[in-house]
Amino acid sequence: MQEQLSSLLAKAAAEFQGTRSRPDHEAAKARYVGPNGEFTALMRQMGSVPKEQRPAMGRLVNEAKERLGELIDAALRSVEEAELAARLGPPIDPTLPSPDAGPGTFHPLTLVREEVCRILRKVGFTVADGPEVETEFYCFDALNTPHDHPARDAQDTFYFPQSAGFANVSRRVPGEKYLLRTHTSSVQVRTMLKGPPPIRIVSPGRVYRRDTTDASHSANFNQVECLCVDRSVTVRDLKALLDYLFESLLGPGTKTRFRPHYFGYTEPSFEVDLSAKHLPKVNKEWIEIGGCGIVDPEVFRAVGYDPEVWTGYAFGMGIERLAMTLYGIDDIRVFYQNDLRLLRQFTGGILG
Amino acid sequence: MKVSLNWLRQYAAVDAPAGEVTRAVTFLGFEVEGVESTGAPRLEHVVVGEVLARDKHPNADKLSVCNVDIGPAGGVRRIVCGAQNYKVGDRVPVALPGAVLPGDFRIKQSKIRGESSDGMMCSAKELGMGSDHAGLLILPGRPALGAPINSVLPEGDTVLDIEVTPNRPDCLSHLGMARELAAWFRKDLVYPQEKFRGEVDSARADLFAGVSVENPEDCPLYSAHVVAGVKVGPSPAWMQERLRAVGLRPINNVVDVGNYVMLEFGQPLHAFDAAKIGGRRLVVRRARDGEKMTTLDGKERTLAGRMLVIADEARALVVAGVMGGENSGVDDSTTSVVIESAIFRPASVRWTSRTLGLSSDSSYRFERGVDPHMSLEAARRAVDLIVETAGGQPVGPVCVVGREAPWKREITVSAAFVGERLGFQIPAPEMRAALESLELNVAREEDGHAGPVWTVAIPSWRDDLDRPIDLVEEILRVHGTDKIPPARVLCAGLTAEDDPPVSFNRAAVSYLVGHDFHECVNLTLRPGPEITTWVSQAAAAELALANPFVEDQSHLRPTLVMGLLDTLLLNQSRGVPAHRLCEAGRVFLEHLGQNYEAASVAFVAAEGGGRSWRRREPADFFLAKHHAGAIASIAGVDLSAEKLEPVAGPGFGWQPGHSVTAGSVERGWVARFGLVNLAMLRSRGIEGTVLAGYFSILPERIPAARSRPRPRELNAFPPALRDIAVIVDKAAPAGEVRAHLAAFAASAAQGAFAAESVELFDTYEGKGLPEGRKSLAFSLVFRSPSRTLTDEEVGAAFQRIQDEVGRNPAYQVRK
Repeated sequence: MQEQLSSLLAKAAAEFQGTRSRPDHEAAKARYVGPNGEFTALMRQMGSVPKEQRPAMGRLVNEAKERLGELIDAALRSVEEAELAARLGPPIDPTLPSPDAGPGTFHPLTLVREEVCRILRKVGFTVADGPEVETEFYCFDALNTPHDHPARDAQDTFYFPQSAGFANVSRRVPGEKYLLRTHTSSVQVRTMLKGPPPIRIVSPGRVYRRDTTDASHSANFNQVECLCVDRSVTVRDLKALLDYLFESLLGPGTKTRFRPHYFGYTEPSFEVDLSAKHLPKVNKEWIEIGGCGIVDPEVFRAVGYDPEVWTGYAFGMGIERLAMTLYGIDDIRVFYQNDLRLLRQFTGGILG
Repeated sequence: MKVSLNWLRQYAAVDAPAGEVTRAVTFLGFEVEGVESTGAPRLEHVVVGEVLARDKHPNADKLSVCNVDIGPAGGVRRIVCGAQNYKVGDRVPVALPGAVLPGDFRIKQSKIRGESSDGMMCSAKELGMGSDHAGLLILPGRPALGAPINSVLPEGDTVLDIEVTPNRPDCLSHLGMARELAAWFRKDLVYPQEKFRGEVDSARADLFAGVSVENPEDCPLYSAHVVAGVKVGPSPAWMQERLRAVGLRPINNVVDVGNYVMLEFGQPLHAFDAAKIGGRRLVVRRARDGEKMTTLDGKERTLAGRMLVIADEARALVVAGVMGGENSGVDDSTTSVVIESAIFRPASVRWTSRTLGLSSDSSYRFERGVDPHMSLEAARRAVDLIVETAGGQPVGPVCVVGREAPWKREITVSAAFVGERLGFQIPAPEMRAALESLELNVAREEDGHAGPVWTVAIPSWRDDLDRPIDLVEEILRVHGTDKIPPARVLCAGLTAEDDPPVSFNRAAVSYLVGHDFHECVNLTLRPGPEITTWVSQAAAAELALANPFVEDQSHLRPTLVMGLLDTLLLNQSRGVPAHRLCEAGRVFLEHLGQNYEAASVAFVAAEGGGRSWRRREPADFFLAKHHAGAIASIAGVDLSAEKLEPVAGPGFGWQPGHSVTAGSVERGWVARFGLVNLAMLRSRGIEGTVLAGYFSILPERIPAARSRPRPRELNAFPPALRDIAVIVDKAAPAGEVRAHLAAFAASAAQGAFAAESVELFDTYEGKGLPEGRKSLAFSLVFRSPSRTLTDEEVGAAFQRIQDEVGRNPAYQVRK
């Protein structure tokens, strides 16, 4: 019997080594340990073994059984491995390109807008939104624009017919005409009318001027403005904010300067220049980047704030112009063409 | 406005170099758009010399060695010269060692090809006078040898082209700019001497009888002065030079005086030939509708009734404040002139100028406002200059129609207020000096509790100043904005949040970019005919602008998909593969004759022509559904619970049967997605199919603070799974079947446990099913929160579901 066992094991070892598939393996397994298997048959012979030999034989049979089990398991593992290898196929060529298009990209104007908003959010500004269709009150009257100011003229501003209604853009003066806002300052007016100071908002958005399209003018463009209203807001605070903003945008050592200017909604008013010689395609020492000033008392009166109590500053600039400066792009129309060769260069841009 | 610094120095001794003046003008608040220098700059060690001898250079063909006499003090110098255009006896500029020519070119003794050279003979360009480099500047008129070159050459001048802000019409004049620069450089301002004081010896009614003003509301002040016996001819050289410097062509002495005084005082003037005024009377009246007049530029103008004209008894002579007529001007035969100095209402002049498409130096100034209190002074200055340059004498009558109330305005401001607004301190005496340097004189100074309080007299030409804050700006301008000290941003925390549309926009675009879309921006204004591809004629009409600038930008966009198709086309035409594009922006929805502004996010996914070594499943309707649903969920809208309707009507941009819409303007949002109309794509030349989708929501409907989810408790008991296939009509919407099944499942366990989910996992039609039927397979998941379910109880529930399905005649359980 001992010989029978060892020859059976040797035969099994050879046979299991040859199994390559699950059916092969199952068949081989059945040949040994199935109901009609050879090992099963041997086990049945145990009954005929003399009683005194049974303990020794029993041990031998158990050992053989264990060995057989190992053979079966090992064979199964190798079959499984072979199956897995077949499913995976040969090793990949990692240098093949991904067939999936992408990654997606944010538009450069979005990246610049969000960067400005992120910088200002850090110093307590939140982003305010308002309609692009506006009324004369919010766009002009409340901002101390004289009634005969050229900006109001149909030559410079897009108007809608008297009959046009915009149900979710509220009018202040019954029957006043709708227009496309010429600046995002109208958002400041709407925000101030919503509640009392203190206010710190940044309002980015699309604005419209009735102008010829060329390398530096687009039928619509984007502005970002900020407004701070509180007690004792000063010219120095305004300068500090702009120094902070542009140093954040352009790196340490960036300088700004104020040139006195005139806007109806601020007094004093300034134009802001940026020293940016390190930027691409900038060959001037100073480039004009925006306008700002201390909020004119008339604006506060128009929204019902007491100008004796509240003071504020406002700042605004064009996002396209800033983006052109930052990226060295010299034609504004490029932004509105969306040539993917341009957009893909902004891969990896995040809104932060 | 062009400002000649030579001219300006008549009124203020601003001797700083042009660069410094330019900087001063800039920091005073005026943009300098151009700087042009003419004539020679100040040059030291450059004198007049005469070429005594000219010999060929021994070592160079093109050079000569000259003996040059530079007068008794300098003697005769040997100078090597390369120019060819001179001869012995010519007098030329000689730069001696020590001279510094423009461009920092330093002259010293040198050796040129072995010959020593003791200076340089100069061309006009080398002296900084223009670009003539053809040869030496030969000086005409044999000036004295050794004379400094600046005494011989015309005086140099610098002309600044200055943009004056609309609040400062007073600076549209040399006196006005001189006042500003005098303040900056702390110089005195000197006004021109006035000789004529408005008194005349005799009235010459035979020359001129008077003025009547019919429309004082548009012409509050009109004055006419008469100068008799003038001799018209060229104006003096100094006047011509100044006018030319600022870009005006000299005409004759009378006309030139008018222009000169306008540029000096800012008051536009007009000179009439007295003999050409029919009836010898001027009338300021409205034009007759359709009245014709030929203006000085030779064009015949048709006037409108709102326009103001200066007329004689028969015809209009001048478009008031804008331009004179061809037939009443001063010419060589003129012997008596009538000088008009008037004030016209800005809006009236602006309207006339714009309507006629005619602007002039005069209309530009009137539109911005001319100081009425300086009007008579300007007229008297003109009389002085006409008498000086054209002879003659002032005669009566002096006509002044309308009078301004005497000017008086005072503003009280304290040093403390100025400091508070600026956020830094300027010493009070410096503040006061700054004000007074601008002729904002302090009438009274009192002691306030924190420094002096000034009562400041505002001059008539500074109508822009009427509040204390206005004086803060004046002080800061003169102090210098470059001296604002640096500071840090101080901020107290506010609990405010970004407005909901801002957060929605940011999150939705981030989602799409994260799914490999490229964000685009397109214009809001679109061509009218294109709009009707997407919305009805009636809706398109509501979206039209009253005054479009160009034809193809006449309407507000109702959907962002329009622009994204443009982008596809542009990239396609440039051979750039473009597949996935998105955009966020405002769109405008029409509903019952009203427009609504909505925040919208849209995407397109195009088949595109790109090839790939491995094919991916092409995008289909369900990709659009997936993304539209995701965007809607960012705005708090659950699209999976919404009824999706087919997009109705031909010509609405979308492919029938492959596109759906949900929501409505009334509900505050609209979602639409699916295939873009193929015929429309083809007509636009876009290849392949395009999937698109958008979600538009009224900004005020975007929830501000989303309620936080309250997740239900999870448990670890195992689920029990059952699958069921239902045979239904081919046209039956799967969503409806699922909803029915979910309802059956919810009640099947009779409250003992829950049917956790009912999900469709397969659809089948074809072999084994009756014609016109399909099979929908659903996976049902049951779970109890408190125990492991037994086979029996799940089986019983499942049986009840099958029974329910069986009871519906439209359904049949597939065995």
